[in-house]
Amino acid sequence: MYRWFLAWRYLLQRPINLLGVIAVTLAAWALVVVVSIFSGYIVEIRRHVHATTGDVVVNRLPVECSFARIAPVLLADPNVAACAPRITWPGLLHPTGGVPAAAARPDSGEDSRFVHLIGIDPQAELAVSGLRAWLRAPERPELRVAEAELLRPAGGDDDPVPSILLSERRLAVEGLQPGARVDVTCTRLYTERTQSVELETVRLAVQGAFGARFVMFDATHALVHIDTMRALLRMKVEDACNEVVVALRDESTAVETAARLQRALADRLSVRDVGVYTWEETNALFLSAVDHQRSLFKLILFVIMVVAAFLMFATLSMMVTEKVHDVGILTAMGATRFGVFQVFLACGLAIAATGAVLGVGVGCLTAVNLDGLNTWLRTTFGVDLFPTRIYNLEHVPFDLDPAWLLQVAGMALGVGAVVSGIPAWLASRHDPVESLRNE
Amino acid sequence: MTELLAARGVTKSYWLGKREIPVLRGVDFAVEAGEMVALLGASGAGKSTLLHVLGLLDAPTSGEVRWNGEPVHALPVRRKAKLRHQSIGFVFQFYHLIPELTALQNVLLGQMMFHTPLAYLQRRQAIRARALALLEEVGLGQRLDHRPAELSGGEKQRVAIARALIAEPRVILADEPTGNLDSETADGVLSLLFEINRERGIAFVLVTHNEELAARCDRIVRLRDGRVVG
Repeated sequence: MYRWFLAWRYLLQRPINLLGVIAVTLAAWALVVVVSIFSGYIVEIRRHVHATTGDVVVNRLPVECSFARIAPVLLADPNVAACAPRITWPGLLHPTGGVPAAAARPDSGEDSRFVHLIGIDPQAELAVSGLRAWLRAPERPELRVAEAELLRPAGGDDDPVPSILLSERRLAVEGLQPGARVDVTCTRLYTERTQSVELETVRLAVQGAFGARFVMFDATHALVHIDTMRALLRMKVEDACNEVVVALRDESTAVETAARLQRALADRLSVRDVGVYTWEETNALFLSAVDHQRSLFKLILFVIMVVAAFLMFATLSMMVTEKVHDVGILTAMGATRFGVFQVFLACGLAIAATGAVLGVGVGCLTAVNLDGLNTWLRTTFGVDLFPTRIYNLEHVPFDLDPAWLLQVAGMALGVGAVVSGIPAWLASRHDPVESLRNE
Repeated sequence: MTELLAARGVTKSYWLGKREIPVLRGVDFAVEAGEMVALLGASGAGKSTLLHVLGLLDAPTSGEVRWNGEPVHALPVRRKAKLRHQSIGFVFQFYHLIPELTALQNVLLGQMMFHTPLAYLQRRQAIRARALALLEEVGLGQRLDHRPAELSGGEKQRVAIARALIAEPRVILADEPTGNLDSETADGVLSLLFEINRERGIAFVLVTHNEELAARCDRIVRLRDGRVVG
């Protein structure tokens, strides 16, 4: 009891120790706020990335593989809820008219002619990916397409023109409106005779926009009807596809399900290297890059905690130098060396604990009120600290993980224990007789 | 009478590099229960060193320290600390009060050491009442909430005496308790010490170089060059 009482009294009389409290508070606050924002972004990004591919993707299928051959095998698995065919193919996009209205963002891919075409079966696709939400996403109502009308040809029965959906941002960059015409050119491997590459071009009509809320995806992808792709690539098989997107009943067993589907397809199609991947495996590089960035952030922010620790060490060392004379009388009254050590260790732990509680508490409050804070900063100072349009989000995301909060508090206490342990140990080694002899 | 605290053949040396500096050279000393013993000697005679050895604050180089006839100089650190806490009180020339604590808190600190937190909280009213009574007894009933910086030298020494008394020790080791006080204040403090000895039966070992003070005690032990000479 006396250790904590004495530590408390020592700290109360030395306001300079507030510096240590403030330093630990700031470090804990930064670790909570920055990591929670990053984690929130990751949660949102993972959700949007997930929506682009469904739970499981089947690719590396034989050339012009029939969907009717694959679907029963997939649907036979108890964990498969639905599947949809796709034909994905790279192409080049040439608007036939229109004035670009907005400058493309550098390195966004918006100003390149490249486009990754995804040929979809609209009704089947609605059951497996985030297509429904994509159609509702465009800010301008005239760009939104109803599900029932999705990718219906334009131009009427006499002169039907296949439809295409681009992202809202890309439409703005290209200066395109619904009804505008674009030419899309693809390569086609001509396998019948010379296996030479030929180019095929098709004119498409912009039907509207989609928004997957994943900037990289929106900038580089376009949606067309799967029949349009089959015609463009002159596929002979009526229900050909080169990719199948699968929705699962239980996402948590995606890895096991993917392995089962792989074996089933390999047996049925007699093809050993058919690819069956979870959405995380499909986007592993991107997701690991984002996770790696968060880990780097944590490491960098931890340096702030180390700086706070040095400040604590300096102030506690000063205090121990002043108070070392108390060692004599404490020993005379019955304290052991360990007891003396604990007095000064308690000082450090009190500073660290106070800073940790304040930092984590204020950090949580900041995270929860980020949107309001961001709006206030923007309207008052013109500073957009958290530009939500970077990841095309409506609000500043955050994800407060209780495990991380405990880790931050633990780090603060651990660091406090280490840096206060050294001066505390030095104090406990001081000769009590020497301090009793001196005034 | 019972021999309470004794040193038998105690030597104490310090090392300055490779040079050995003997301070105590085979000291035999004892204090009996309720006795007031003056330890007299010139500066550098080894009085304070003997006091520290008797109080188990410093280990003898050779020889024994006995408590109630039992050797205690080689006890584990914790048991020595407990013995010091429960049975031996200290009063020093420079008071050695904790500056951050009030007079009352300085007195209570020892009891906080003695009890577990729960036990202290359960007994805190009784402990506080005893501390208040002690401070009243030493004449500081009106200065409870003053910190050492706000007290005079004599008042500080009275707080130190109250602090030594709260554990109800059987012997108090006082190292030049009036060495830093003016004569009038010193007389007051000494009178208090003698009164405590008389009324509570607590033994005292009083280190001093003052012959007049020594003459007031039950017995005088003279130290010269680390040896008992009378």
